[in-house]
Amino acid sequence: MKLHSNPWLRTAYARLWVRAKSIYGEPLWVAVNIGFPFFTSFSLTMVYRAYGLNSFTGFAILGGVMISFWGNVLWSMASQFNWDKQVGLFEIYITSPAPISAILVGMSLGGILGTAPSAAMVAILGWLIFHPPINAIWPAVISVFALTLASLYAMGMALSSLYLAYGREADSVNEALHEPVSLISGVYFPSTGGFSPFPLAVQAGASLIPLTLGMDALRRTLFFGQGFGELYLDLELLALAIMGVILLFASSKALMFLENKGRRTGTIAVRQR
Amino acid sequence: MSLRAMVASIRVGWYREFNWTNPLTGFSLRTVGPLASVIAASTVYYVGSTNNVPPSFEPSRLAYILIGAALYAHVAAYSWVPTLAIAEGKWTYVFPQVYMSPHSSLPYLIGRTLASFVTSTMTVIVSLVLSFYVLSSVFHTNIPFMVNPLSVSLLFLAMLVNILAALGLGLLLSAYALFATKFEWALPTYVAGLLMVFSEALFPVSFLPWPLSAIANVLPFTEFMRASRQAMIQGGTVYSYFSYLGLAVLGGIVVLALGFLAFRYAENRARRLGVIDKKTA
Amino acid sequence: MLDQRLNDARKVPEDQPGLRNVMNRVDAEITVQVDGLRREFDSKEGKIVALDGINLQVRKGEIFGVLGPNGAGKTTMIRILSTLLLPTAGKAGVMGFDVEKEPEKIRAVINMASGAERAGYDFISARGNLWFFSQLYGIPTEEAHRRINELSDMLGLQSYLDRKFYALSTGYKQRVTLVRAFINDPKVVFLDEPTIGLDVMTALSIREYILKQAKEYGRTIILATHNMAEVDAICNRVAIIDKGKILACDTPAALKRSLGAPSLILEVSPIPTPGSLEPIGKLEGVKGFTSSVDEERGLSRIQVVIDGDGSAQSVVDSIRKSGMTVVSNWRQQATLEEVFVALVGRGFREREHEAA
Ligand SMILES: Nc1ncnc2c1ncn2[C@@H]1O[C@H](COP(=O)(O)OP(=O)(O)O)[C@@H](O)[C@H]1O
Ligand SMILES: [Mg+2]
Repeated sequence: MKLHSNPWLRTAYARLWVRAKSIYGEPLWVAVNIGFPFFTSFSLTMVYRAYGLNSFTGFAILGGVMISFWGNVLWSMASQFNWDKQVGLFEIYITSPAPISAILVGMSLGGILGTAPSAAMVAILGWLIFHPPINAIWPAVISVFALTLASLYAMGMALSSLYLAYGREADSVNEALHEPVSLISGVYFPSTGGFSPFPLAVQAGASLIPLTLGMDALRRTLFFGQGFGELYLDLELLALAIMGVILLFASSKALMFLENKGRRTGTIAVRQR
Repeated sequence: MSLRAMVASIRVGWYREFNWTNPLTGFSLRTVGPLASVIAASTVYYVGSTNNVPPSFEPSRLAYILIGAALYAHVAAYSWVPTLAIAEGKWTYVFPQVYMSPHSSLPYLIGRTLASFVTSTMTVIVSLVLSFYVLSSVFHTNIPFMVNPLSVSLLFLAMLVNILAALGLGLLLSAYALFATKFEWALPTYVAGLLMVFSEALFPVSFLPWPLSAIANVLPFTEFMRASRQAMIQGGTVYSYFSYLGLAVLGGIVVLALGFLAFRYAENRARRLGVIDKKTA
Repeated sequence: MLDQRLNDARKVPEDQPGLRNVMNRVDAEITVQVDGLRREFDSKEGKIVALDGINLQVRKGEIFGVLGPNGAGKTTMIRILSTLLLPTAGKAGVMGFDVEKEPEKIRAVINMASGAERAGYDFISARGNLWFFSQLYGIPTEEAHRRINELSDMLGLQSYLDRKFYALSTGYKQRVTLVRAFINDPKVVFLDEPTIGLDVMTALSIREYILKQAKEYGRTIILATHNMAEVDAICNRVAIIDKGKILACDTPAALKRSLGAPSLILEVSPIPTPGSLEPIGKLEGVKGFTSSVDEERGLSRIQVVIDGDGSAQSVVDSIRKSGMTVVSNWRQQATLEEVFVALVGRGFREREHEAA
């Protein structure tokens, strides 16, 4: 069978295309999307730089990059099905033979592709303005980055099924999750390990969030010259990979369960007239 | 401008803010965001300064950042409410309805803003108190806050005065939302980001390069931050409090006037373009 | 004395030849089969029975109308058949597959569209949206574009294909939805109120399109609607449904013929107060009636289904007795609305009022 005639790939690609196209069709979105992550990371970089350790400034810039993706996961992945349901797109997915996992994966890749330009701009601007000290093993950085994104978006998939089930207050939950998760998972500072000011119990809890492990691993490879073979880094990567797979699996299962439940209770689509 | 319309709008705003099956859950969900962002900003400072060689941690700096982050969250939370009311109203058709009845759009937006001011004041006070306790115990430090009836009253006074500027900013943003067909949801977030940099929320604006520092220096939001710190952090004086507050009032009036003008202009323009009830995503 | 026009029953053409699909042969393959279908919903007020034991057989190439007032259960039936909802009891099959056990197999051969939804991605062009939907069915891109062009041509959508979805008017969004509903060359298509809220011209072109889909490509179309004219214009057969039950199922012509006598139309003034018309329903020989208000002329128009000329006089008398003036009255060949009135006693309007 030729790859391009595989329905799963077709669906995933089409979903990716729609997601990315919405952003690239309006180039100004890139400029608009940089705003909040950039200004936040700018402010926090100033805090490091003015009152603290200059060599940590890169943490805040990296945080701005990753927070762009986290925001995308929350606002465009997690609440997407709920939104699709409101406007009637979800029932089109369900009544089509398209596998839901293909839609999830396509949505994620599209989200990554759509967020990449503004995230890259945050990195470039931050680097140009602050010249943070970098000590990187690039192949490691790139693999860690990819793995972190994968598990982050897998988390988005899991959230999307949760929101579908408890849809009503999805936006408020999003709003409520954004900051606490970025705090606990140490987007702007190390929340685990030697530099973390948090009690061990909090650090252990935080490590259950894939973003925490990803941020830590990214800092290690990007600023501390660590590469594969460092035991702790390898463990983090292994844990990230396992979490990603579990989340992907769990969200597919959850969505199938919700589909069946929805068919039973009559809540797959919003009721109209 | 009708007072009754405004009071009614405050009630709508309250309803909208507390449209929750469980009000306590609603309030908690609203509080965790500001709380987390205050703790995050403070922790960045703590981690950076304690790992410096030699360590440069100062409790008064921590107090400075804590107050700034909390009050920043306060302004950011309610200054975008007029935009929210319009953008969301375009979807639900509430806004065109309000708009059709003469002279009620401004009172409506002001009412919604005031309702949100009240709720975000509550969430911010709770986050200030909680983060104070959390950070003092986690960092084992005495945060040099000054908490007495006078200082708290002065803080509230400053918050009230800052309504001028925040409402003005809100109206400026909503003026855009009124005739915009795109980015109206995103613009307030963008401006909130700018505000973090330019309002002395986390670091003195004098660290910015000229002329950015000069612009930031005259913003009423900056004066509001300064006045609040004079009220709440040990070492502040009533004299400097009132001088900053005076500047905040002056600047606030200017921003508010600009907001009114922009809104009126946008209203006319939107009517001409016929986009008041135009829905876009 | 009765108005002269009373006997001057207007002749409505029974059939519109050429417009009607002729594939309704009894030997054609059965594509949709429904047996004892029941669906309940839990609500705050207790259990709602949306479908109460429905039986149906629809054949290849048929346009099958499901006609009933709001709340009758049409959408529920369509949702069950299009695999969005499970039955509480009973069986339903599409193309020989069970809706409960084999939804994936059904999804590959059906499609559906709802007039109330008109879903699409706002910032993507109409063509982009349609291409996206085609990919959910794994259709190769070239083939997809060929189908998009072909279907859009039929609906006059061609020159709008490059517009962003949000910039399309309601009618064109609905056309996009209808192209989508046929994009996968489906065997069975479920359409829920496809012309609701559209202007007459748009509705007409959509009906022609639906007709063509059934006639030329042999697709089965299940069309839920509360628009009698729509059923009259394109349906081979229609099931009249009320409160979850099928009251009658036949060709529109046969249903109208079954009424026998032409119905009586009266225009009365002043506009009757609620309830004041009730006695009409109890008269001998009256099967039911429905009324509507013509605000502009300050009149009320009453349609009465009667079983013969004798009852007409007693209806007129009864109305005069209750103090109203009969401004005009005439006899008219029965429409599907009167078929419903005869079956239920009241019209769609009153039915929907009762429910509200
Ligand atoms: N998901 C649901 N939950 C509860 N009640 C429902 C649901 N869907 C439909 N109903 C009820 O079932 C009945 C039939 O509805 P529906 O099938 O939508 O009718 P129609 O499409 O003919 O207007 C109505 O009383 C409606 O309120
Ligand atoms: Mg319906």
